Amino acid sequence: MKNIAITIFVVLIFVGMGIKLVAFQVRETELALVKRFGNPIREITEPGLYFKWPAPIDMKEKFDSRVMITEIELNETTTKGALPIIIQAYVLWRIAEPLKFHNSVQGVSNAQDSLRSLTRDVGNNVLGKHNFSEFVNSDPNKIKLQDIQNEMLASLSKAVDDSDYGIKIETLGIKQLKIDQDVTKAVFERMKAERNSATTAIMDEGKALAARIKTDAKSKRAELLAAAEARAKAIRAQGDASAAQYYKLMSEDSEFAMFLRDIEAIKKILGNRTTYVVPTDIEPFDLLRGIRALQPAGANER
Amino acid sequence: MTGKSQDETKELQSQTAGEPSGNQLDAAGKSLSEALRISFIALKVIMFALVLFFLASGLRKVESGEVALVLRFGEIHGEADKRILKPGPHWVLPYPIEEIVRIPVERTVNLAVDSFWYAETEAERLAAAAGKKFRIKQSLNPVKDGYCITRSARGSEIASAGSDYNIIHCKWQLTYKIRDPEPFFRNIFVREIKPGESHTDVIDESINPLLKDLVEDSVVTAIVNYTIDQVKFEEVAKVTIHIRRLLQDKLDEIGSGIEVVSMQLTRSTWPRQVDQAFQASVAAGQASQQLKREASTEAQKILSVTGGPVAEELLAALKDETVSEADKEQLWSQLAGDAREIIGQAKAYRQRVVANAEANAQYLHTLLPEYRKRPELVLKEIYLSAMEEIFANADEKFVIQRSEDAKATEIRVLINRDPSLKSKSGKSGNSETEEKK
Repeated sequence: MKNIAITIFVVLIFVGMGIKLVAFQVRETELALVKRFGNPIREITEPGLYFKWPAPIDMKEKFDSRVMITEIELNETTTKGALPIIIQAYVLWRIAEPLKFHNSVQGVSNAQDSLRSLTRDVGNNVLGKHNFSEFVNSDPNKIKLQDIQNEMLASLSKAVDDSDYGIKIETLGIKQLKIDQDVTKAVFERMKAERNSATTAIMDEGKALAARIKTDAKSKRAELLAAAEARAKAIRAQGDASAAQYYKLMSEDSEFAMFLRDIEAIKKILGNRTTYVVPTDIEPFDLLRGIRALQPAGANER
Repeated sequence: MTGKSQDETKELQSQTAGEPSGNQLDAAGKSLSEALRISFIALKVIMFALVLFFLASGLRKVESGEVALVLRFGEIHGEADKRILKPGPHWVLPYPIEEIVRIPVERTVNLAVDSFWYAETEAERLAAAAGKKFRIKQSLNPVKDGYCITRSARGSEIASAGSDYNIIHCKWQLTYKIRDPEPFFRNIFVREIKPGESHTDVIDESINPLLKDLVEDSVVTAIVNYTIDQVKFEEVAKVTIHIRRLLQDKLDEIGSGIEVVSMQLTRSTWPRQVDQAFQASVAAGQASQQLKREASTEAQKILSVTGGPVAEELLAALKDETVSEADKEQLWSQLAGDAREIIGQAKAYRQRVVANAEANAQYLHTLLPEYRKRPELVLKEIYLSAMEEIFANADEKFVIQRSEDAKATEIRVLINRDPSLKSKSGKSGNSETEEKK
């Protein structure tokens, strides 16, 4: 019994070691190629457990299937209008078909080199088809930078497919967009000029706005005073109307009423600090000319 | 476990030692068989330990903040939500059958992107820190200096097509985390972890170059659509959202499983070469704001003097037909300032005129019976008492005799203007000198 268990165990160990010779795993992040005496015979693109003849008959070669980055150095080229432009692009790619990859570029660093030169060509070609004004423009609707990048991506994908590299281009982008060193001087001059004119515009606008705010307030003042004046007039009219009801009472003897009113008025008009020049024929100054001829009222009835 | 096995071994040994010695084997054979037995037992124990060790090697711990994927023969294993192991201890089939890949999903990572900043020499940096002035070169080197190109403002007459752009320097910070472990594992390159290296450091180190490229791409692509003022001042949030959207799109496009948590503009400036013009512009902006503020204060003052705090409300109400009369009256009653005074005067007038009329009527009414009886006396009484009053207040009185012949009499009286009265116009020499004093 004991011996059987030991035998099974030993057999298991040998089977395991045997499997190790003929089996291999391909991970999710890998692709593999099985080569018999150096010639590729099988391409593996799905993860899992695979078998082959033991070495040195069959050999396996693995490739990383994950996204890889290739950065292309700064590249100065010209746009359609012969204006210089400097771009730095990068490419994200992955190995899609290990067999093709193995046959054409063979290694990742070779692939990187090929991609660099392809991308440079594609870049020069595509950028040369566009005016500088399509990269940047004061009118945002005319900016085509995104489209230009998409065009480069399409071009590069096609070139890579045509070359049978077994590579899939995931994306391509411009990570630096620059201009010639001498051109920056001109840009600075222009920026200064733009800014100076903006400065003037800002001041003018501020002044105009300030003036408008004040004028607004003044016109509001006038408006409000006019409204108040109108209301005041209505109030006065109310007063005059209310006063009028008393005139009816006065109409009992309107002449006497007017006499009283005149007296009232003259008292008010001739207030303080007045110099009077009066003739003597006005009562009571006639007294100054001499005594009046008076008779006691009871003595002689008129 | 190993200790326990050793105990068993000892027990077995003692049993063997205690066996009766009455068999046919000679001493040598006996000792050989003994040795064989012991070695078999030892082998068995080792086997047992190995199996245990093999099984125990399948125990794995997933730390908090992480999840793990199980690879069976290299392929992600499991169905639906069982594909991802949550934090805690787990048992998987031992290597090489299954293995787990741990991925930190809750950790947010910051990545600073400074590639759009100008190159500063050490001397320049020191001078800038000390606030000293120094000469800077008048151009930007495309290799050393980083910058972004922004569009010019619309309607700028200075810029012509093909040259209507500005330059801005900016620094960004990306905060990201891994949202989807599965596509992340499948698509994003993470190099092998060497012994002694931190798992998360290796992940960061592997993905940062990729993220940096994508951030730079998004910034360049987005920022050309904005003016320098929009990027620097007015629409920072909008620009940032635009960049973030482009970046997330790219990340999704390559199936990275990475999520942008935030994108931040940490610093931005116009080129040092044009600093003066920009500073002047900023100052003008502030001065202009100041003018506006002053004007507003003055306007407020004018309105307040005119009508008090309700001035504007009342004006609006007067123009608005939907406001009820009662509300308008309410506002009128709260009115202050000059407008209130005008109305106050009118109200005083109303009161006065009514009171006067009433008093006059009353007066007339009281006098009327007497007047009707003795009109002449009453009239004279009233007339003379008025005269008394008037002349009592007089400064000077001249009484002159009117001759029968009007031409004969002519008197000249020099009357001085009352010096205490205010001059009516500023034309008089005296008042002018007074004013000057």
